[in-house]
Amino acid sequence: MVSLSPIPSSIFRPSLRAAAGAGLVAVLAALTPAKAGDPTSKTLGFAVTTFNTAMYESRFMDECPQGINATNDEFWWRGLSKEERGRLTNNGDMTQIARQHIANHRGPNGEDICQVPTAVKDPPLYTVRGKLAYGMKLDGTDDGKDTPKSCKHEKFTGVDGTPAIDNQLYRVLGCVYGWRSIGHIETAANGHRQTNGLGMILIEVSGVDDARNDDDVTISFYRSVDTFTFGASASPLPYSTYRIDYDGEKPRYGDSIKGKIVDGVLKTTVPGDVKLPFYANQSFQTMQLMDTQIELKINADGSAADGVIGGYYSTQQLWEYIGEQGWQPTGLYTCPGIYAAIQKLADGHKDPKTGECTSISSAFKIKTVAGFIKHRDGGDKPNKIAQAQ
Amino acid sequence: MLKSSLKGRMGMVGLAAVMVLAGCSEQNPAKPAKVASSSSATLVAYAAPVESDVVAMRRLTSEQYQSIISNVFGPRVKIVGKFDQLVRINGLFAVGAAKVNMSPAGFEQFEIAARAVAAQVVDPKNRALTMPCVPASPKAFDEACAQRFFSQAGRFLFRRPLTDEELKTRMDIAAAGTAAAGDFYAGVESGLSSLLMTPAFLFINEAVEPDPAVQGQKRLTAYSKASRLSFLLWNTAPDDELLTAAATGALHSEKGLAKQVDRMIASRQLEGGVRAFFTDMLGFDKFDTLEKDSVLFPVYNAAVSLDAKEQLLRMIVEQLVVADGDYRDLFTMRKTYISDSLARIYRVAAPKPGAWGEYTYPENSPYTGIQSTFAFTALHSHAGRSSPTIRGKAIRELLLCQRVPDPPANVNFAQFNAEHSEFKTARQRLEAHSTSPSCSGCHKLVDPIGLALENFDGAGQYRTSENGTPLDTSGKLDGIEYKDAPGLALALHNNNAITGCVVNRLSSYALGRPQTKDEKAWLTTLGERFAASGYRLTALLRDIANDKAFYAVPPAEQQVTQNVQ
Repeated sequence: MVSLSPIPSSIFRPSLRAAAGAGLVAVLAALTPAKAGDPTSKTLGFAVTTFNTAMYESRFMDECPQGINATNDEFWWRGLSKEERGRLTNNGDMTQIARQHIANHRGPNGEDICQVPTAVKDPPLYTVRGKLAYGMKLDGTDDGKDTPKSCKHEKFTGVDGTPAIDNQLYRVLGCVYGWRSIGHIETAANGHRQTNGLGMILIEVSGVDDARNDDDVTISFYRSVDTFTFGASASPLPYSTYRIDYDGEKPRYGDSIKGKIVDGVLKTTVPGDVKLPFYANQSFQTMQLMDTQIELKINADGSAADGVIGGYYSTQQLWEYIGEQGWQPTGLYTCPGIYAAIQKLADGHKDPKTGECTSISSAFKIKTVAGFIKHRDGGDKPNKIAQAQ
Repeated sequence: MLKSSLKGRMGMVGLAAVMVLAGCSEQNPAKPAKVASSSSATLVAYAAPVESDVVAMRRLTSEQYQSIISNVFGPRVKIVGKFDQLVRINGLFAVGAAKVNMSPAGFEQFEIAARAVAAQVVDPKNRALTMPCVPASPKAFDEACAQRFFSQAGRFLFRRPLTDEELKTRMDIAAAGTAAAGDFYAGVESGLSSLLMTPAFLFINEAVEPDPAVQGQKRLTAYSKASRLSFLLWNTAPDDELLTAAATGALHSEKGLAKQVDRMIASRQLEGGVRAFFTDMLGFDKFDTLEKDSVLFPVYNAAVSLDAKEQLLRMIVEQLVVADGDYRDLFTMRKTYISDSLARIYRVAAPKPGAWGEYTYPENSPYTGIQSTFAFTALHSHAGRSSPTIRGKAIRELLLCQRVPDPPANVNFAQFNAEHSEFKTARQRLEAHSTSPSCSGCHKLVDPIGLALENFDGAGQYRTSENGTPLDTSGKLDGIEYKDAPGLALALHNNNAITGCVVNRLSSYALGRPQTKDEKAWLTTLGERFAASGYRLTALLRDIANDKAFYAVPPAEQQVTQNVQ
C-alpha cells in the first residue's frame, strides 16, 4: 500500500495546504473499502411512476348514460340572475378559473362548499351505471350483500371477466370530468410526482426464489427519498437506486402483505392494511388502504411492472383529498355532489354502532419501473406483515 | 476602450513570443544568464537555459495546463476554452505533443485562456490566494510587489527561474498597463497574460548543457530533468522542492534524484500522473465524441460517458496506486467504483446513492476486469450496436500494443446489414463476412477477442441473446481458448504482451518520443525489473525515473528544428 503525502494549493498560500489536502482526502475516501454485498439479491424492486384512480372508459361512454357531471362553477352560475352574473364577473369578462374562489363560496352564508360540502345540496351526482370495472373482490361476497363488515352495494365484473369486483370509488368518480382521461387531476399529479419525487411509492418483493413463479413472497411498500432519472425519451429509467425514507431506524412507511408470483404476475395471497405515501396537486396524505390487494404483471425482462392495487379507502381521507382539490384550477366538479355520493356508496368498514360504512372500495392503476431499493446500513427494524382485520 | 487597447497589446506580446521561438538561435545567443530569483545565490550557478539550448519541446496538454494553473494560483482559477487536439503518435498524445503545428487559431485559444486566467488571478475575490503581496497603492505601480509576483509565479510557470530579460519584459508590461489603466492589478493582469502566452510556458522545453563528467558530451539541464520527472509522475510542473533540487544540482546526483523520486511516488499527486498516462494509453479522447442511439439506449447520456471514464480511472488508481498491486490484475479485478448512472447500466444497486461507491462484482459475474467496463465496451462499439471487431482491435492495439491493419476500402457490408437479415448475432454476421479472403486475416486476429465481450451490448449493458438468439461468447487469444468474458480476462492476465505493452507505452510516454533501436536493451531491462517487482506500476515508474536512460539527450534526429511551426 502506497502511503500518500499531501499536495499544496496556491504557491502563495502554503497555509492552505492542509485544506487542499483535506479535499483530496475526501476524493480518495471513495477508494477506501466499504462493506461489500448486495442487499437486493432475491428481491425485486419497483418504483411507481404513475398512480391513477382505475377508470374504465368505454368508447361511447356507455358507463355514464346521464353524461358528465356539472361543476361547482356551473351550479353557482345557474343560481345567479343575469344582473348578479354581470356584477360578480366583471360583466362576464372574468374567466372560470378566476371566478372559482367566488363560485366555491356559494354556501348560504358564504361557506366554501368544498370545505363544508353539506352547506348546499346539489342534485345527485351522476354515477357509473356500467357493469365493467378494474379492481378486486374485496368484501368476500359474490353479490355485494350487506354483511357485518360491509354495506350492500352493486358488484362489477372485472375488465378481464373476473366476477364480483368491488370498486365503488369508480362508481363515484367515473363520470366526473377531472378524473376521466380527458381531465387533468391525475395527469397533473403524476407529472408532479415524477418531476418532484413527491409521494414516490416503492414496492419491494422479497423472498423471491424464482422471479416468474414463487408461491410465497412478501410485498412491502415504502416511500423513496430519491427521485426518478429520465432517459432520452423523457421516461423514467429502470434500474435506478432508491433510498427508503426512514424515521429513525424504521422506514416511515414499510407495511407488508403476503403474496405469490404466478407466470410473472404478482398477486396478493393475504390482504392487509397498508399505508402509502400519497401526493396529488399540493395535497399530501398518508393513504390508509385497508384489506389491500395487488396484481402486477412483471414484463419479461423484469424492467417494469404494471397493474392494479386495490383496497378500502377511508371516506374521511378520500374527502380530505377531494375537498382540498376543489379550489384548484383542476377542481372542476361539484363538491357537495361528490361528498353525498361517497357517503351513500361507501361499502366497507361498517361502523357497528351507526351501521354506516366508513370506507369505500377502490382500485388504482399503477405503472412501475424496476429499481433497486436501498435499505439503511445495518438493516431495518422488522416490519410486521399486515393482515386484514 | 481601455480594455480593448490592453487586449491588443497582449495579443502582440503573445505573437512576438511565438516569433522568438521560431528564430531563437539568432535572437538569443547562448550566454550565461543571470537568474531572477527571490533568494539564494546558489541559483545563479544553475542559470535558466536560453532558447538555443533547447533540444526537445512538447506542448502542454489541456490537463497539464489546467493542473499547473491550479497548483500555482489555486483551484478557484478555471481554464476556459479548449486547445487544439494533439496528434497521436506511437499510440500516445505524449509523443505527438513533440510534433505540433501551432496554427493562428490554435494560438488564439491559448491567448483566450491566458487572458481569462490572468483576469481571475487579479480578481478581488481571488487575490488573497493568488497574489503574494498587496501594492502600496492599488492605483500605482508597485515595483517590489510586481517583481515578487512575476518572479515567484514565473518560476513555477516556466519550470525554472525567469531570466532578467524575461522578468523585465513582464515588469515593463505591467508598469505600462498600470499607467494606462490607473490600476496596479490591471498591469499585473497584462504582464501575466504575456507570461502565459510565452513558449517557455506553453511548451515543455528540454535544454542541454555541457556534461562535466564527460568532456564534449551534453546532458539535460537540472530544470529539464525536473520537468521530465514531474510531468511523468504527476503530469504537472515541478513543485518548489523539486525546483530547489534542480537549482542546487541535487538532481544530477543519484542520491538526490532518488530522494525526489521516492518523495514524488509517495505523493497523492502520483494519482494525477497515473490517470494522465492511462487516459492517453487507452485513448480516452474518444469519449469527447462518443454518441449512442438514444432510442436503442435511452440510459446513455453525457453524464454516463463522464462517469464511465472516471470509473475506469478509479479502478486503475485503486489497483496500481492505492493497493500498489499487480498490473495484470487490472484485467481480472472485480472490485470497482460505481455512480448512480453507472449502476443503472450495470443493473446493480448504487452502493452510495448520490456519490461514488465501492462495489465488488460477485464471482459469477461477467463483469471482470477493466475491459468489461462500460468505458471499454461502449467506447469500442458502434452507436447502435456492439462490435466484436472494434473491441478486439482495441484490445490488440491498446492493451497488447499489436498493430492491426486497417480494413480494405471496398468491403461490402450490405449482406449482413440488410433488414431482416438471417444473421441474428454478431458472430453469425462476422462468420459470413470473414469468408472473404481480404478480410479473414485481420478478423481472425480480433474477432475471437471481441466476441467474448458480446454479453455487453453497444451501451455496455449485460445481455444473453441478440435478436432472440442465444450468444456464443467463446473465443481464443494467442492459442488460449475461453468461453466467456471472464475467460478472456484470464487469458489477457496471463499474456506476456500485456505487460510488455505497458512497459513500452510508459517508457515512450516518459521520453515523449518513440524509443530508438539503441533503447531496446533498456526496454528489456525495464521489463525484467517490472516482472521482478510483481508487475507493480509504481516500481516501473521508480525504475524509469531513476534511470539515466530516461534523462538521456534525445537522439539528433528527434531534436527540435530551429524553425518550429
